[in-house]
Amino acid sequence: MRAKLLLSAGLLLLAAIAAPGALADNGGFTPVDPASPNADGIRDSFLFVSIFVVAIFVLVEALLVAFVFRYRRRLRPRFEDGVQIHGATKLKLELLWTAFPVVVLFLIGAFVFVELPGITNVPSAGASGQLEVRVTGRQFYWQYEYPNGVIAVDTLRAPAGVPVRLEVTSPDDDVIHSWWIPALGGKIDAIPGTVNETWFEAEQSGVYTGQCAELCGVEHAKMLASVEVMPEDEFEAWLAARRTEQTAGTSELGEEEWAGVCAKCHGLAGEGGIGTRLAGSIVLADPDAVENVVRNGRRTMPAVGSGWTDEQIQALTTYLQENPPSG
Amino acid sequence: MASRAEAHAPAWQRGKVASWLVTTDHKRIGILYIGTALAFFVLAGLMALAMRLQLAQANADVLSADRYNELVTIHGTAMVFLVVVPILAGFGNFLVPLMIGVRDVAFPRLNALSYWLFAFGGAVLMLSFFATGGAAKAGWTAYPPLSTEGAGNGQDLWILSLYLVAAASLACAINFLVTIHNMRTRGMTWARMPLFVWSIALYAWLLVVILPVLSAGLTLLLLDRGISFGPWEVQTHFFDAAEGGAPLLYQHAFWFFGHPAVYVIVLPAMGIISEVLPVFARKPIFSYRAIAVSTVAIGAISMLAWGQHLFAAGLPYSLQAFFMVSSMVIAVPTGVKIFTWLATLWRGNLSLDTPMLFALGFLSLFVLGGLTGIYLAAFPIDWQVHDTYFVVAHFHYTLFGGVMFAIFAGLFYWWPKMFGRLLDEKLGKWQFCLLFVGFNLAFFPQHLVGLDGMVRRIYTYSNESWEGYNLASTIGSYVMGLAILLFLVNVVRTSRSGPRVGNDPWQADTLEWYTTSPPPPHNFEAVPYVTSARPLYDLRRRLREKSGFREL
Repeated sequence: MRAKLLLSAGLLLLAAIAAPGALADNGGFTPVDPASPNADGIRDSFLFVSIFVVAIFVLVEALLVAFVFRYRRRLRPRFEDGVQIHGATKLKLELLWTAFPVVVLFLIGAFVFVELPGITNVPSAGASGQLEVRVTGRQFYWQYEYPNGVIAVDTLRAPAGVPVRLEVTSPDDDVIHSWWIPALGGKIDAIPGTVNETWFEAEQSGVYTGQCAELCGVEHAKMLASVEVMPEDEFEAWLAARRTEQTAGTSELGEEEWAGVCAKCHGLAGEGGIGTRLAGSIVLADPDAVENVVRNGRRTMPAVGSGWTDEQIQALTTYLQENPPSG
Repeated sequence: MASRAEAHAPAWQRGKVASWLVTTDHKRIGILYIGTALAFFVLAGLMALAMRLQLAQANADVLSADRYNELVTIHGTAMVFLVVVPILAGFGNFLVPLMIGVRDVAFPRLNALSYWLFAFGGAVLMLSFFATGGAAKAGWTAYPPLSTEGAGNGQDLWILSLYLVAAASLACAINFLVTIHNMRTRGMTWARMPLFVWSIALYAWLLVVILPVLSAGLTLLLLDRGISFGPWEVQTHFFDAAEGGAPLLYQHAFWFFGHPAVYVIVLPAMGIISEVLPVFARKPIFSYRAIAVSTVAIGAISMLAWGQHLFAAGLPYSLQAFFMVSSMVIAVPTGVKIFTWLATLWRGNLSLDTPMLFALGFLSLFVLGGLTGIYLAAFPIDWQVHDTYFVVAHFHYTLFGGVMFAIFAGLFYWWPKMFGRLLDEKLGKWQFCLLFVGFNLAFFPQHLVGLDGMVRRIYTYSNESWEGYNLASTIGSYVMGLAILLFLVNVVRTSRSGPRVGNDPWQADTLEWYTTSPPPPHNFEAVPYVTSARPLYDLRRRLREKSGFREL
């Protein structure tokens, strides 16, 4: 009776735990579907470890449940002694469960070392070479610098099928962030004064999302990042066009800066939030005042644009003059 | 209560409250530790419930970002420094002298000092919510530069609180060490010492080694934040990259403390399990030596594994490989413990009373917490799961599913020794069931949502596919809250009416059950000569042989 009750309670619990997984769109027990060879390697390692984790988990829980049912007191006197195991059986068992984990851990370690080069080493460049992008984590946005000087915020455009090397860092006056796009590999911290490296090579076009993984302050939760992968020729065209537009001051950079740098605290329409309400503010109409606040911060607002080039500042001030936030 | 005030104390010290304020009795101090830690447990638990409410839905608006970051920081700090570490110090204080058959710890007044330092340190942390700028917001790990740039006094009070608590722990640890090394009763060699005392010895050794490193890190942090004393101002740049400092230096110092701190917490919890399982299985532990040796091994290796928390920080691969191996090596003695406990159940005569239920709950949950640790130790996998809810689930399986379940096992087991009365078994079993179900509902889905990319310490999210997991998690956390409420009801209800069950209700094996419940101020009239790790078992057997009496 009690056993049945326990069993049904256990099944209910399992169902309750599994339910949200079934409701979620990818409800799986594995990392996000990889879209880059390094993420592949990590997923394979995850699956390999899971073989042992699941086996050991089931073994231990099964033994535990079996022993509890088999050896519970029932009609025996409460304080009657159980049977102690001595001698050769005991020795054999102890050797077994000391040696067994050693073997399992050795296998796991070996597998990880075999997979490691595929995860860490950037594939040698193909015909079209590699792309190098500098990724700077800042409170609370990601800034990307392409070799030709093009700058973008939060959305990184990248060519499909080309290895992309990322130099990840954070300015000296900022805090630690962590770069992570789950489908494109593991995370790497953006640390002031240090340049860390990682890479990805997206096989297919698409948008891959992620977010800052190291608590970096009040809007840490809003520090989203995405990688927009497009066919290589399309990417090259975008990069060249963006270069020209950026010089001319007609690029989308200003809009990206407003959405990525300002709006996370002040609201997309300047309606205010963690930051003050900007809609209708006279400061926004004055490019010098905007530059001053952005470069130096103000009261609790960090200097979000310290170290920006004049191009970056101008992109923002022009955008604000053309699109004053309406509240 | 645990013990009467001493008859020769001045009149003002004999009052009901005053006698607790001035006490140097290890049993009273132990109970003070446990009671205070449980109060902090309730507070930090309420913080968790508030956070779960905020996360139950995407884009929720229950807490502001700043408030959420404060709660995340204080919940974590309090649960580690004000709940599990001191509650285990409380068990150690109450039990160690009784278990090794002595009158008190080596330095009773240092012991009282250590309790009061802890209590004040805890009060500082909790009251820091009212400081200028609110409580600390940089997480329980307080990584600079985030923790050095924060305006207001919350972070400074956080540092002060940890100084006080660290000083308390250090005094407490030295006390345990001197007591255990020098004062064991006649016949109690190291190999006859209760396994819980072994675990407290390692708890103390680890604290003595790691606390100074934490304090050094905190001092550098404080100096980097800047201090002024009269006309003098000090502002250093240890962690400030702009001035040539290294932000990562702090992380090494913190985790050199923080990683072994996990084992500081887990080892005594395992010690409780090693005491409870044999008594309720009516068998000696399957292998005393294996448990003792693995306790020492885990403690020693844990000091070489701190780097696993820095895998995503870009350490050289050779170093990451070293820390992977050192982290994995800990799994071997941990596995030995788990199988030794299982074998202790094998062919036993199991009584499924509440302490035993919690001990079995520990076994079933801790296994998963340990196994998910393998993913974190394998550094390429850690790059994927680091700082996600997968990690949150992992350490709650070890620290709540493991340690808190062991603590409840210990509370239900030793309650009659502390207060002379049994806690209510029926309420206890309900509490266990609710806590077990609520815990799994709260934390199992977090593995999955973490794998799906949800990072930790975010006050909100907009990804709607994470909502199901989070809602389940929130419901589970409130079921856990209900279970804790049942425990409090149990304590209040049985404080006057609980059954008195005599000196040794469980027919246990260790010396604390030889004296009365609660024990007198000086613990023992006489202590039997200890001839094995189970002195009371030996005593009962000798009595039986002498009198021909067979008990049922």
